[in-house]
Amino acid sequence: MLLSAADLHFRYPRSSKHTTAADAEVIAGVSLDVAAGEAVGILGPNGSGKTTLLRLLSGSARPLAGRVRLGDADVLTFSRRAIARRIAVVPQETSLAFDYTVLEIVLMGRYPHLGTFEVEGARDLAIAMAALESTGTAAFAERPFRTLSGGEKQRVVIAAALAQLDSGKGSRVSFSEEKIPGLESALLVLDEPTASLDLKYQFEIGALLRRIHDERGITVLLSTHDLRFAAALCNRIVLLSQGRVLAQGSPAEVLTPALVGRLFDVDPELAAPILAAAGVRR
Amino acid sequence: MAINHATVVGPKVRGLFLAFVLVVGVNLAGRTLEPPDLRTLGPSRIISLVPAVTEMLFAIGAGNEVVGVSSYDTFPPEVTSKARVGALIDPDVERILSLKPDLVVVYNSQTELMTRLDRVRIPTFRYEHAGLADITSTIRSLGQRLERGAQAEAVASRIERDLEAIRRSVAGKRRPRIALLFEREPGTLRNIYASGGIGFMHDMLETAGGEDVFADIKRQSVQATAELLLTRAPDIIIEVHTFDRWPEDRIARERAVWKALPSLPAVRSGRIYLLQDERLAIPGPRVAEAVKLLADILHPAGQPDYQANSRAILAGTSPLSKDSVKKRSSAALPRLP
Amino acid sequence: MTSPMRRGVPIVAACFGAMVVAVVASPFIGSTSLGFSRVFSTTIPFADNVDAQIFFVARLPRALAAALVGGTLAAAGVVFQGLLRNPLATPYTLGVSAGASLGAMVAITFGSAWAIGGVATASLAGAFLAVAIVYALAAARHRGLSTTVMLLAGVTLNAFFSALILFVQYVSDFAQTYRALRWLMGDLDVASYEPILYALPLVGVAFAGFAWLARPLNLMSAGIDAAATRGVEVERVQRGAFFAASLATGAAVSVGGPIGFVGIIVPHLVRLLVGADHRLVLPASTFFGAAFLVACDALARTVIAPIELPVGIITAVIGGPFFLWLLITRR
Repeated sequence: MLLSAADLHFRYPRSSKHTTAADAEVIAGVSLDVAAGEAVGILGPNGSGKTTLLRLLSGSARPLAGRVRLGDADVLTFSRRAIARRIAVVPQETSLAFDYTVLEIVLMGRYPHLGTFEVEGARDLAIAMAALESTGTAAFAERPFRTLSGGEKQRVVIAAALAQLDSGKGSRVSFSEEKIPGLESALLVLDEPTASLDLKYQFEIGALLRRIHDERGITVLLSTHDLRFAAALCNRIVLLSQGRVLAQGSPAEVLTPALVGRLFDVDPELAAPILAAAGVRR
Repeated sequence: MAINHATVVGPKVRGLFLAFVLVVGVNLAGRTLEPPDLRTLGPSRIISLVPAVTEMLFAIGAGNEVVGVSSYDTFPPEVTSKARVGALIDPDVERILSLKPDLVVVYNSQTELMTRLDRVRIPTFRYEHAGLADITSTIRSLGQRLERGAQAEAVASRIERDLEAIRRSVAGKRRPRIALLFEREPGTLRNIYASGGIGFMHDMLETAGGEDVFADIKRQSVQATAELLLTRAPDIIIEVHTFDRWPEDRIARERAVWKALPSLPAVRSGRIYLLQDERLAIPGPRVAEAVKLLADILHPAGQPDYQANSRAILAGTSPLSKDSVKKRSSAALPRLP
Repeated sequence: MTSPMRRGVPIVAACFGAMVVAVVASPFIGSTSLGFSRVFSTTIPFADNVDAQIFFVARLPRALAAALVGGTLAAAGVVFQGLLRNPLATPYTLGVSAGASLGAMVAITFGSAWAIGGVATASLAGAFLAVAIVYALAAARHRGLSTTVMLLAGVTLNAFFSALILFVQYVSDFAQTYRALRWLMGDLDVASYEPILYALPLVGVAFAGFAWLARPLNLMSAGIDAAATRGVEVERVQRGAFFAASLATGAAVSVGGPIGFVGIIVPHLVRLLVGADHRLVLPASTFFGAAFLVACDALARTVIAPIELPVGIITAVIGGPFFLWLLITRR
């Protein structure tokens, strides 16, 4: 098992900007497993806690109760660098304070593989260019990131994530490389990858992720509120409602009018045609 | 008509009216009948925000009429018993008004204060900091304002005679080049401010028989950088320390700071003076004493050997050492006849 | 294909060259013309050699101080901009210079009895006080540092300390007020090598921090969360950036006063030349900033000779319009 979470609980600290009403828990008892090679989708409406769950699963936040295991050990026992070599997160949106080029962004993904003062070498450059190629953005390498369209930006950030996960056999690292026992595959985490994209780019990203998953064997974990996208891409879907797992299983098992109606608080009768249109086989 | 009205205005009212007329009439008559007294002509409650003018007031005999002085006044000793009303930047208007002055001496730049005083019709005497000659002209106009023209004339002429005497005594002698500094960051050679080619400090220097190294810079103050001092190469450096009263070892340390510029003639000959004396900074009636002090430093009486005399001064064994200078500064002003 | 960073190295080298030229040439420029042979003459004893003294006592320390202050302020500006993720941040945004100014004011007004160090030491102490307050406020509630709280604390501190400075000036006399105002305008006439030598260790420590911070700051520009998922220890980087940049700013201000605009003009210009990679922007800004301030100081002491303009006025005259132009052309 690549990633396994048992009975996670989480609440944002009272005075932070994420205040929720009446100290309600954002994640209230979630258990979840991700096996190597899977494509798992966390489906739920806005506010159901999807982003928070992803942060917990990727080791960016500490749960109030419960544990997240990465391979054989608790994810929080590893250094950020060690985690970063195996888990890459693609956020919903990326805005830069300064004017970096596309290639510079992708090369930033090589950070966990390099020493403090080590400059990117020929292999790092090759890895970056390969990542850009695989996301179809190699032509943008020297362009400023801010000049790209939303979909192009998203693909570049995915390329950076791929460069981050590429172990580059025999990388010369000046510090001892922490091994994460039991971790064979890399994990690509995406938070609402299509939320701000036009339909055309949604299809593009979907196809890209499918290709990455199928061809490279990278495990994919994503969150979305888009039924169709989840159904098309994921082989396992977790329904998340108000911090709790409503159901999880294959799309066919889980995307029923009844469950979807409960999840999104809509009339199941209205949900049925949408599911049919999304190509979910009953 | 008149007969009708007479019956309306009763005997009581008529009596009152008569009394009123008597009182007013006697008073008006009284004023013109009273003999002229110098004491009651001219202002009798004077406030001065300008220390130099305060000294002038006392010098022309109007000391008793002074009811308020500035926060920085220290001379003559009588000012310690007077009320304090602030200074250039922070005049205490309420305090000033509460003292009920009939004349307030203000700086020409204190426009807000002047406006407020004008509004309540309190007369002001406006003072502007300027050159040496303006000191005596200010004394004279002050005298006129206070109806003490004779006393003022006496003081002013005395100052002019003293200054003229000093001029004569230094005439024909070689004029040493001097930098007169009124500010320096202690322990360093940074933030040095010197008297420029305009202003009473410059005039004092010239009257005392010195040549101001910054005479060509037509400003009251000049920032003297290290480069500027090296270029101008003064023979004598005089630092005026109005408020500091440093012990001997501190003075020695501060004088040693100048060793960083060894090419200056002043440093080579040791003619660096730290004068802790307020008279050099106040353009008032004691200015002649200040100029005499400078002249004695620049042209030591009867001794053409500058080296020996300066060593004596610096070692504190000459009558011109700092201790005796201090004693002289607290001496009382000469009383007028 | 070379990495983007390597391609920027020639420009960094050019900036270094500019700095060297500026520092070497500046002592020869001034209102008094110097004879080259006299300056370096070995026959004339130093105590008699006016030209040599002007060069070695008056002008050279000044050029070195300008280089030190200019380079340090520019680099601190870069780091603060990276920390706050805002290219409009300056080294003075978080209140360091307000603290330094207050310390200097107190020393000038109340400190004539102190003979040692004096204004420079007091301004450094004031800077540290401001830094401590801002850090305490920003670190109070979060595990890391909240940039929002930092900014608010800095702005508030600037306002509060400015009020205190006004109060101190109110109770000071004429001469002290004048000296205080003059200090606020910036003054590089150090007239000795001491202030430079005292500041050097502090600046050295700060720059060691900057070297370590360069790459993490790149990753931080996409956001704290994004940087964390890429392996950056964000709390350490934020703390390191805050303290290193504040130390550098405090040291620079204690030498030359709060000289403005260097910390924002130079990083901007440099980014136009080398791009946004901090590993290039930091060294290039340091060298360019040094050269820039040396040039400004040379201008300040020659433009209306023999009187000098405060160097802060020169940087403001250049920086103000430049800043306006930046704001207008910024997308």
